[in-house]
Amino acid sequence: MAPSLPQFSAARMRSYIFRLPLFTRCIIFVIVLLWALGMQSVWDVQAWGALVPNEIGLASMYRTNTFPLVHVGFFHALMNVLALTPLLERFEAEYGTLTTLALFLGPLSTIPALLYTFIERGILGMNTTVLGASIWVFTLLAMEAVKTYKTNPNFLLGTTQIPTWITPLVMVLFVSFLIPNTSFLGHICGLAFGYGWGLGYLKFLAPPEWALRWIEGKLNLLGRLPHYVSVDQKTYGRFGVLPTTNPSSDSITTTSLLRRDPRLLKVPPYLSFLCIVIGVAWLLLLPLDDYSRGTYISENALLPGQVHTYFAGSDQNVFRGYKHEVDALGERSNVEVNDKLEELFKASGLKVARQKYEYKSAGETYEGENIYAILHAPRGDATEAIVLVGAWINVDGVLNRSGVALVLTLARYFKRWSLWSKDIIFLVTADSRAGPQAWVDAYHDTHQSPAIESLPVKSGALQGAVVIDYPFDHRFESLHIVYDGINGQLPNLDLLNTVVAIASGQMGIGASLQQMWQHTDSYQDRLKTMLRGMLNQGLGHASGPHSSFIPYHVDAITLQPYGEGWQDEMAMGRVIESTFRSLNNLLEHLHQSFFFYLLMQANRFVSIGTYLPSAMLVACNFTIMAIFLWVKSGSPLPTKTTVGSTAQSDEKAPPLAVIQEADAKAIVPEETLAVRERELFLPLAVVAGSQFLGVLPLYLFNHTSAPMFPAIFTLFTAFNTITPPLLSHLLTTTFHPTAQQYSLIKSFSLLLLGLFLSSLATLNFSLAFLVGLFSAPLTYMQPLPNRPIIAGILALLLTALAPTTVLFAGAQYWGLGIGEVLKEAAFGWDVWGMNTQVVVWCVWWPAWVIGMVSLWGRPREEVES
Amino acid sequence: MSIDRRKATIFGAAAAVRVLLFTAFPGLPDLLTARVEVSTPVTSFKRLQEGLFLYNHNVSPYDGGVYHQAPILLPLFSLLPSSAEYPAFTYLLYILVDLLSANALMKIAESGEAGSSKLYTSPRKDKKWSSYAIAAAFLFNPFTIATCVGRPTSVFTTCAIILAISKAVIGSSYASMFALSIASYLSMYPILLFPPLALLCYDRRPKSPQPTSIYTSVLQNILAVGGFIPFLLYMSSLITGSWEFLESTYGVQLLLPDLTPNVGLWWYFFIEMFDSFRSFFLGVFWIHLSSYVFGLTIRVRRQPLIVLTVLLGIFAIFKPYPSISDTSLFIALLPLYRHVFPLMRYSFLASSTILYATLLGPAFYYLWIYAGSGNANFFYAITLVWSLGLSLLVADILFAVLRDELEVERPEMKGKEIRQI
Repeated sequence: MAPSLPQFSAARMRSYIFRLPLFTRCIIFVIVLLWALGMQSVWDVQAWGALVPNEIGLASMYRTNTFPLVHVGFFHALMNVLALTPLLERFEAEYGTLTTLALFLGPLSTIPALLYTFIERGILGMNTTVLGASIWVFTLLAMEAVKTYKTNPNFLLGTTQIPTWITPLVMVLFVSFLIPNTSFLGHICGLAFGYGWGLGYLKFLAPPEWALRWIEGKLNLLGRLPHYVSVDQKTYGRFGVLPTTNPSSDSITTTSLLRRDPRLLKVPPYLSFLCIVIGVAWLLLLPLDDYSRGTYISENALLPGQVHTYFAGSDQNVFRGYKHEVDALGERSNVEVNDKLEELFKASGLKVARQKYEYKSAGETYEGENIYAILHAPRGDATEAIVLVGAWINVDGVLNRSGVALVLTLARYFKRWSLWSKDIIFLVTADSRAGPQAWVDAYHDTHQSPAIESLPVKSGALQGAVVIDYPFDHRFESLHIVYDGINGQLPNLDLLNTVVAIASGQMGIGASLQQMWQHTDSYQDRLKTMLRGMLNQGLGHASGPHSSFIPYHVDAITLQPYGEGWQDEMAMGRVIESTFRSLNNLLEHLHQSFFFYLLMQANRFVSIGTYLPSAMLVACNFTIMAIFLWVKSGSPLPTKTTVGSTAQSDEKAPPLAVIQEADAKAIVPEETLAVRERELFLPLAVVAGSQFLGVLPLYLFNHTSAPMFPAIFTLFTAFNTITPPLLSHLLTTTFHPTAQQYSLIKSFSLLLLGLFLSSLATLNFSLAFLVGLFSAPLTYMQPLPNRPIIAGILALLLTALAPTTVLFAGAQYWGLGIGEVLKEAAFGWDVWGMNTQVVVWCVWWPAWVIGMVSLWGRPREEVES
Repeated sequence: MSIDRRKATIFGAAAAVRVLLFTAFPGLPDLLTARVEVSTPVTSFKRLQEGLFLYNHNVSPYDGGVYHQAPILLPLFSLLPSSAEYPAFTYLLYILVDLLSANALMKIAESGEAGSSKLYTSPRKDKKWSSYAIAAAFLFNPFTIATCVGRPTSVFTTCAIILAISKAVIGSSYASMFALSIASYLSMYPILLFPPLALLCYDRRPKSPQPTSIYTSVLQNILAVGGFIPFLLYMSSLITGSWEFLESTYGVQLLLPDLTPNVGLWWYFFIEMFDSFRSFFLGVFWIHLSSYVFGLTIRVRRQPLIVLTVLLGIFAIFKPYPSISDTSLFIALLPLYRHVFPLMRYSFLASSTILYATLLGPAFYYLWIYAGSGNANFFYAITLVWSLGLSLLVADILFAVLRDELEVERPEMKGKEIRQI
């Protein structure tokens, strides 16, 4: 027989474990039991059972029998069990259970133990404790080696002939070299006994066979004990029964047993459902204390709140003066405002520049002029800069009266200090949406000139940006921090932590997030904050002037004072001063802390490692289903039920019947193994076609003018409702797809969806999670030609989860017109480079269309050719 | 000869797609040129522009240490109008090269070499795709299109390799060797394709009255390549005026001084390497790459074309500066083996792995380079996945072909599970 390397096969492994003989099982059980006992602290099993040479006396002779059963730790026990089991099983199968019992509880452990004790204590004069079944392993190995030596004396290594009996010796050496704390002497003693036994010198130690046979016969052990191996080799055979399984059939069924098990093919739908459930549950667990962490400052250079702030006193008068100026300018045109602001900045001794911009989106024009002033750092070399932004009009369209006044005051105040090592740029943008984007684009030279002017004056690399949004002139209670960037990108967590630490720690001002004006630190409030954050990031829009900075890797946040309290504008100014002092300390760009996080309170967050699995699980569900459908589409048509049963039955009767027919032998495996040829072209074409179809709404909604939006949306919704049944009908009448092709269509579509979502999850977790959740039902859509009612209900459900419906429902929920939402989206696409639309129309919508098409599908009857 | 309408349709559509991409998205060519997946230090179009600029100003193009491509490209591209002002000519050249490759690919498909070579005929050979489908699969492969739009010079190598094979299958061994010499001259690694290509030439040699021995044939081929390459090199030295181009082109391929990230496995490994081990591992990597050649040539002696296909797949994984252009070449040759596809076992796994890597690669590169929230390990992990997917595909097609051969040798094994040991 040609030698073959053993291959791992789960089925064979299982059957091997089920066939382990009795004594081997007992030994494994005892070893495991003693290991488990060793874990408690009341009774020291190891001290009790170990072979300690100095303690061997008549009373403690039991140690020579117990030491192989006791182990030091889990790995010690595991390794020894793994090594011992096959060897012991062979020995038992050869000599019978009774003999093995007698030998292993007697001479096989005692004699090597005594030998060891004699050498260790008597000759070497040492006292090394030994433990563990490895001594048996080597005894058995030596026996095997001698046996091999008799049939196959040498093996060749190059040209040298090496006797096979050496191998255990080599192994002892290896083990003693490679594994720490192994007893070389103990192993050698084991080996010595093994060689002795193998060569026949110690056979006399075995109990006489007639006695054992008498016991066996009297007690009817063979009948009573399961897995018992008889002493008698001739009468009944080893196991009392003739082997029933034909080895050739075994080799066919076992390897494919797991893959072909019909039960296994039922698992994936449940598994993918489980993925969704766990994914959602995972997310809901995050606000708990055990899964979220308190925030902390990673970048030590920041030293938040360590400096004394001096922004107070006479600066308040300056602030009031500036506020009067700003109020006076309130209704003036952009250019007039900037003329005055330029004058004010120049009066503070700063270099001033302006930038005009003009964006066109959805048929409307957004134009304005930004003005900014640069404070050159007295201690810097103009390679780095920090930005203080105050938009003239804030996000809600209100005049940012105290905010701009504060920027002007701070500009004047900062100019007086000589400690700045980074340039400070004071930027007043004309609005909060297009202006900052125009300025940042131009700062990094990625703007579209001439619609957006280039910046006449620049400074160094931007290290951070803080936006003040302070539209009212009364005192405030707390700070609201807005941190979401475009496309769900976030600033480094350290920036947020710094502001929170300064506001709450140094100034005693509370900080809140995501418009949670009341936060009681309860589970609900945390979850709400987190979900609001996820929604903002999922939508990917700009939530403030700071959002435009984040895609350029400039960490930025917006600070909005809110509420009625006793904090005045000077407190706000001091928060900014202290934040700038911290940013001024930075030695390198913020990089220490997290860029991917979900905040559930101003000082509590989860990092990407903790939350990413939930989106990945949701995306995984699609992939699992895709793989399952692929495998299913390749499995043979269910014409013969016998195919399944042959695979299952390794203990039952059927295999004999099937396999013993000489000719059928070749046919049966062929059928089970054959993979049906898949017809790929149509499915690929359909999926590719629907992906390309997604460009249509993407183009439509980004290139029409704003007044048309409601009408176009209605038209598109109608199109969206009619298309899938129509497409499905067209598909059925022209191509007559088979069930296989339908499942391949679905498989490819889900594969792509899973693919896109898992990639997206690394870029914008929230969007991936939301889209994954909305399209989760697509996993379970399949043609139901014979159940029109269920199909109808499912179609309704799917329609309720269509991108258009979700869009409409969302708009209704926030009380916005659909036209407004689409206009905002088009603005985001044209100005901010927002790509949520791409995901919705080119990832989600095509998958939805395919789901709907396959729901309406009518597979052709398949006939086996 | 009447115009082949189907071919004209396919070629026309392929050209139209490319023209559309070039004209409708004017930013796309430059975007793709800057992508590390498309352009490598030894094929980048941007670097070619740099070399061209130096060349046109009578400075040695290799002086800046930026240009690492073959000198012969310089006069070729300086003949064209400047690509900055009249990009259309460059676009047309690249489209033409793609069509030329597709044409040669069709010739290979029509020869039927994949299904039945001189020494072996597959029982499944009737199940094949038409040469049109194979050309279409090549021309509309997104990797091929991206390569064409990104304009790396590797397309010339690709074209030369496909031409060499297409000449070999019709038995014109000198033309084939000439094409191989050009490919090797441009990118060096194709010289490793010599053994299977020479065998292919020998197998498909035209019938002549007196039998040629295999040794004579191979010797002739060696002499041919040995003549062409020094000729090309000498021409190059005349063009650039010195022999320093050898160090800047082949030296860079051999010694890997430029560690710009790419889809291959070398760059990260050599970034991490201590300098003292560098030369040793360079040797190891190159020996590993070339060790496949003779083994495969001998093992699958009866089907030299599959050896070429598998080798191209291996090069796409293990060469020093691989790009998706190499992958597209390997994928172009795969459909010739349509008849063994049913024997492949991991086609779905391999293709989804490659798809995943295709999407995640740019995403992780973005996180690393632009967003700053990831690091080099992100991208390298994905290149590992990419290589894993490709190697699955390579191993699987080889398995399928061997299995096909086995079933001819031992018909009783048909349909049974086979263990590889």
